Amino acid sequence: MLRLVLGRLASFVPTLFVASLVLFLAVNVVPGSAARSALGIHATPQALKRFEHQHGLDRPLAVQYVEWAGRALQGDFGTSFQNAVAVGPDVRKRIPVTLQLAGMAFLVAIAIAIPLGLLAGFRHQSGTDGVVTTLATLFGSTPNFWLATLLIYLFSLRLGWLPTGGYTPYSEDPIANLRGMLLPCIALGVVSSGLLIRIMRTAVIEVMFSNFIETARSKGVSNVRLVTAHVVRNALIPFFTVSAVEFGFLVGSVVIIEDVFRIPGIGSLVLVGIINRDYPVLLAAAMSVTVIVLIVNLLVDLAAQIIDPRQVHTGS
Amino acid sequence: MLRRINWRRYGLVIVTLPVVILVFIASAFAPVIAPYDPYALDVLVMLEGPSEKHLLGTDELGRDILSRVIQASRISIVVGLVAVGIGAFGGTLIGMLAAWFGGKIDAVLMRFMDIVFCFPAILLAVILMANLGTSVLNAMLAIGIIFIPGFARLTRAVAQTVQRQPFLEAAICLGVPGRRIVLREILPNVIGPVLVEAAVAFSYAVLLESALSFLGLGAQPPEPSWGNMINTGRGFIDQAPWISLAPGVALFLTVFSFNLLGDGLRDVLDPKLRD
Repeated sequence: MLRLVLGRLASFVPTLFVASLVLFLAVNVVPGSAARSALGIHATPQALKRFEHQHGLDRPLAVQYVEWAGRALQGDFGTSFQNAVAVGPDVRKRIPVTLQLAGMAFLVAIAIAIPLGLLAGFRHQSGTDGVVTTLATLFGSTPNFWLATLLIYLFSLRLGWLPTGGYTPYSEDPIANLRGMLLPCIALGVVSSGLLIRIMRTAVIEVMFSNFIETARSKGVSNVRLVTAHVVRNALIPFFTVSAVEFGFLVGSVVIIEDVFRIPGIGSLVLVGIINRDYPVLLAAAMSVTVIVLIVNLLVDLAAQIIDPRQVHTGS
Repeated sequence: MLRRINWRRYGLVIVTLPVVILVFIASAFAPVIAPYDPYALDVLVMLEGPSEKHLLGTDELGRDILSRVIQASRISIVVGLVAVGIGAFGGTLIGMLAAWFGGKIDAVLMRFMDIVFCFPAILLAVILMANLGTSVLNAMLAIGIIFIPGFARLTRAVAQTVQRQPFLEAAICLGVPGRRIVLREILPNVIGPVLVEAAVAFSYAVLLESALSFLGLGAQPPEPSWGNMINTGRGFIDQAPWISLAPGVALFLTVFSFNLLGDGLRDVLDPKLRD
């Protein structure tokens, strides 16, 4: 078990390295644009040179990367080009907000996906299955920012039940916090449930065709008991491992939804970094989103192998 | 006796294909179909609801929304086609190379693909756009790059299965040149699954493009795209909800029918894959 955990952690390091390298390169594809956007189009060439020298942007990319990565590992993400404020503390303040949003949205998604997927899988190749599968495609095809706009229109503007956006910390006012989170979570969760329903359905079908279900059936186990005691339990393991990938997409979609609902998380920080061409801010925000996704994947991977030791042997 | 056609197998394609064709026709003949010039301002009819003259109403500058929705389909279709083209070509190439050479080349290529795959797509698209510059051309490029790992994984998996078939081993033993085997034997087998993936990727490309435009990183106003129309409509949602509603419905229907078409193609090309 310990070897397994250590092995996974060891493979996490190169992944993190390449991921950070890809992000760093993606941000720096166009050289010289940072200085220009920070100083405006009327900046003199001398001023641009000075800015680049001041922020170390005139050095080779490799040197810049090593320095940035070295500092980032110590939690220092540099200072913003825009206002010379340290980026790290701001990012740390925003991470819990995004985690709450993504976590609750994921709960909404699985609350929709598990019962529907179970229904479709259990009534496999029937009319019910067709309806649920189509519904899953329908959910998955909905643009989340459009759904968000419709939800705001209906529940905030027409009915006046929920706020149109904004964020209240949970520690200040739990009810206001949850009321503010409800619409963004539904917008994200419903769209994500599209794929999750399919994953659950496939997992259930796989279990339904296994020998132990046939044994249980021939023993005369009732349908209700069959589902609750055998199918659900065995289908949930593959469901959670595969759905971790969808959680990654969900964290990415946060960029748009946080913008729509004016939630001060990392997603909106990514956009702030882009609009201001503030590379330290953009890199720090994008890197934290990526690290969250990688860690979730790692944890799910480990959890799945601990719950289901069979995978240890087949996996490698 | 006539062979019975298995309608179930072709059902989805028959239902969704007309919608898909309609979207393509709308985008190809947008200037002919659109009742008004999508850029023509008319201050007399600002923010007017659907009427006989303007079937889907007008926006904050008095432009006809139906005409703009039709015009906007062009960007979605072009971005979808080019992005999927880039993704399918790049991915198929990498996947087939990885499967053919195996070993270290395979390990390095696929490890890199895994890592790119793991990035949230929108995040990567947003960052690439920010640095390439906001334009439709760059949106195609950014979205296309994101699709490469998915196609690469798929192609590699299919190519590996084909390569293990006895007839290919025989061909290799006979000394058939590698290039010929790859092009004549492996590639034709890869095309089916790639086509299915392409339909689904197309719908995702349309979705991503509209998301980028919604954030102001894709098509720039006054050029209409479904994403930037929805975004503009947000500002007037209380007085004129139709500004966001109409492009959203068009976007949703396009994405939905391409997704279903993907499912349908899967049924037709490989019924075994249904479950």
